[in-house]
Amino acid sequence: MHSVEPPLVRRPCSTQLRLGLRNIYIVPTRFGLLWLAGVALLQLVAIQTRSNGTLLLGFLLLGLMLLAMHLTHDNLNGLQLVCDQPGPGFASQSVGYPLRLQSRMARQRLRLQLKGGEPLVLESLAAGETSVVLPWRPLRRGRQRPGRLHIETIAPLGLFVCWSRWEPAREQLIIPARRPGPVADRQPQSRQDGMEEWQDLKPHRPGERMALVDWPSLAKGRPLQSKQFSEPEERQHQLRPAPGLAFETALEHLADRVWRLHQRGETYGLDLPGRSLPPQRGLRHRDACLEALALA
Amino acid sequence: MKRTLAWFTVLLLVLQCPGLDLAWLLSWPTLGLVLFSSLKLLEARQPADHRLVALLQLLAVGLLAAQMPGLLASCLQLFTALFALAALLAQELGGVLRWRRLLLRSAQLMAAALPLAVVLFLFLPRIGPLWTTDLGSGQRAATGLSPDLDPLGIAELVRTDAPAARVSFSGALPLDPYWRVLVHDRFDGRRWLRAPVAQRRQLLTPAVVSDTTQWWSLEPARGRSVPWDGASLPASADLQIQPDGELTLWQPPSQPRTLRLQLSSAPLAWQQQAPTGRELQLPRRSQLPRLDDLAVQWAALPSDVDRLEAAEAWFRSQPFRYSLAPGDLREVGLDGFLFDQQVGFCGHYASGFTALMRAAGVPARVVSGYQGGRSVQPLGGSPYLEIRQSDAHAWSEVWLAGEGWRRVDPTAWIGGGSAAAREAALGRGVGRARRGGWRWRQWQWWGLDLAWTRWWLSFDQTTQAAWLEQLLGSSPSWIGLLVLAGGASALALGLRVMRWSGVAGPIERTLRLLETLHVTPRPGESFAALCHRAASAHIDLAVSLEAVADAHQQLAHAPLSRRERQHQHRRRQRALRQLARSVSDFGSGPAARR
Repeated sequence: MHSVEPPLVRRPCSTQLRLGLRNIYIVPTRFGLLWLAGVALLQLVAIQTRSNGTLLLGFLLLGLMLLAMHLTHDNLNGLQLVCDQPGPGFASQSVGYPLRLQSRMARQRLRLQLKGGEPLVLESLAAGETSVVLPWRPLRRGRQRPGRLHIETIAPLGLFVCWSRWEPAREQLIIPARRPGPVADRQPQSRQDGMEEWQDLKPHRPGERMALVDWPSLAKGRPLQSKQFSEPEERQHQLRPAPGLAFETALEHLADRVWRLHQRGETYGLDLPGRSLPPQRGLRHRDACLEALALA
Repeated sequence: MKRTLAWFTVLLLVLQCPGLDLAWLLSWPTLGLVLFSSLKLLEARQPADHRLVALLQLLAVGLLAAQMPGLLASCLQLFTALFALAALLAQELGGVLRWRRLLLRSAQLMAAALPLAVVLFLFLPRIGPLWTTDLGSGQRAATGLSPDLDPLGIAELVRTDAPAARVSFSGALPLDPYWRVLVHDRFDGRRWLRAPVAQRRQLLTPAVVSDTTQWWSLEPARGRSVPWDGASLPASADLQIQPDGELTLWQPPSQPRTLRLQLSSAPLAWQQQAPTGRELQLPRRSQLPRLDDLAVQWAALPSDVDRLEAAEAWFRSQPFRYSLAPGDLREVGLDGFLFDQQVGFCGHYASGFTALMRAAGVPARVVSGYQGGRSVQPLGGSPYLEIRQSDAHAWSEVWLAGEGWRRVDPTAWIGGGSAAAREAALGRGVGRARRGGWRWRQWQWWGLDLAWTRWWLSFDQTTQAAWLEQLLGSSPSWIGLLVLAGGASALALGLRVMRWSGVAGPIERTLRLLETLHVTPRPGESFAALCHRAASAHIDLAVSLEAVADAHQQLAHAPLSRRERQHQHRRRQRALRQLARSVSDFGSGPAARR
């Protein structure tokens, strides 16, 4: 369904919006115009044949159209849209933007769409509060707003399309797109101890794994002792943007590297102009790194 | 499900199609619409396609309504429109509602749109046809009277018992009436033919009907001439009285139709229309020598009335006998019938008498139509006269100077020629006993149908004009304002109906009621918890609030049988109604309560 975009209308930009007379637009659909043509045809036939039945049906269809105008408008009128706190997402990927729809009454089919995203169709909306996640595809990193939200309905008869536009004001953190590529990686020298080498023995405590028991020393008549392994020093990555690449491209490669290093469970740090994160591991560290990339 | 509804609509449409008369031009677009919408439905994939199908089906219903205005057809059309609308609704609500609910919603929508439609229907001034086209070819044969009367060629008259017309009166039913249809004024020695009727098309503006006196409901016939009593004025614009006294429609009533007549105070012009000379025309003398010899004696009498009386006396003196099976008289001719065989039915007598009068110099012609009819008193409705094809009759009209055309029925002069005797000859008593139940039901149905017709079809352009004039008096320019104001309030009424009945479920209604008590749901609070909280705050509403909450919990979570579900539904409804009453009491007198 195509709707006309009013060229000179100031779109409201806020964290919540109540749909009302000032921000709802309604026009007949193409089917609505066809319906009117049908009414005209029925009127003509009724006049020519002097048929009361046809005349009444023609007026009935006309009445349905006028009624549908109000019903379609009612379907949007009074709906409240509230921004939820959005989580971070990657650029150039479909990102979910959460919204809460608050309605005092049940509503029929609604269609919501963020600019450049897939439409979300709600078959019905129960009274109360409903959370929806609208997909969109951000192109740039940083704190981004998803742009225009288009909400429309043609229920119940499809004769009128009623729509509204809104720019949700809450920003979403957009991380640079993950793109594999070269990254400057400074690895600090560390001891390469094997996993198999054990360093020390200590008295065995009940409950410790039996695999750790030093059986040879037990055979020599010593008390039960456990082997103690030293944690081998891990590979540490300190990532920087690759020199010689465009900064944005380098950030995208970094985002990909951070993502993969996290998945492999390795330790990594990040050096960015004006910001440096020491090598660490964990979800929180990953998110901090990605946020640093997004805002660099 | 969307498809099921649409296919059901198709079925209903197809069911009505056999009633269409293909001779009427409008029937072809109708069939085309039905066919096209079905084909479109076959290949429909998108919602837009389904919507188009629904619109086409609604249009088809409109065209069908123009051609079949009867009671049964109107009922079918209403249901078809209901299903088509439900199929349209299913495009948007199909994911949520079952199809019974869809039909209910469709009926709701129609009911909501009806007030506006009725206002427009009643008040919007109508206009007559924009152009006149002969929409029917009139070539299709249907039961009815024949334009050529050839009694001598009929060895045995098999009278069909098909219905011909029904007529109801505002006053008392007439006694033994004659309903004239066709006038045969050309005679070739054996057959009586009709002069071709001039196709004059003038838009008559009929006088404003104050009192309709006759309501005719006609079965399809092949001619344009319709039965009437010869003394009434037509009350619709497409009826016209021909100079020879036939009442003609613009187009043959190829589908059942209705017409209205009103009693005329003055005698009509056709009765004084002087003969053109055609009414004296006879074949060459040699063809009917004995008839001529007899008539020449009467021609010597001084006046036309004397000649007529002489003829009556002669017919009464001869041993004529009424029979439906007189045998083939083509060999012996009219002379043979009048002077040798003397056995025949009404056609023979009218034919013989008219030829005699012409030979005696009195302008005369044969008229065919119906005589009598049975008076039927349906259970709930006004009595009406039922006319069947077996009531067909032929009689004569003679021109008497100073008086005009006088109806003469020679069949009545002969032994066994009276209407009652003819009834017996038809063996009607036996038929009635055999098919009594069926006939009785048919009569009841026709009574309903006629009542519907009187009620539904009576509101036409002329009635509306009279009605509006009565309503608005001398200021007809107010009609625009009236239509606008009426339409707006009707629309508001419809919207109110929709908003009140449509969307609000029990939870929403409860929430609304609680809001007036300043109890609003807290985040994360369940409906039952809300009701409990409200009940503790408003102890006087506690019983109904707890009942609503409990019934809701049962319906939402308990595994219930069908009957238990219905019980809980009813319980919730009852409690809600009670709650609404209490809350409105509360709202009206808060000071007294507190």
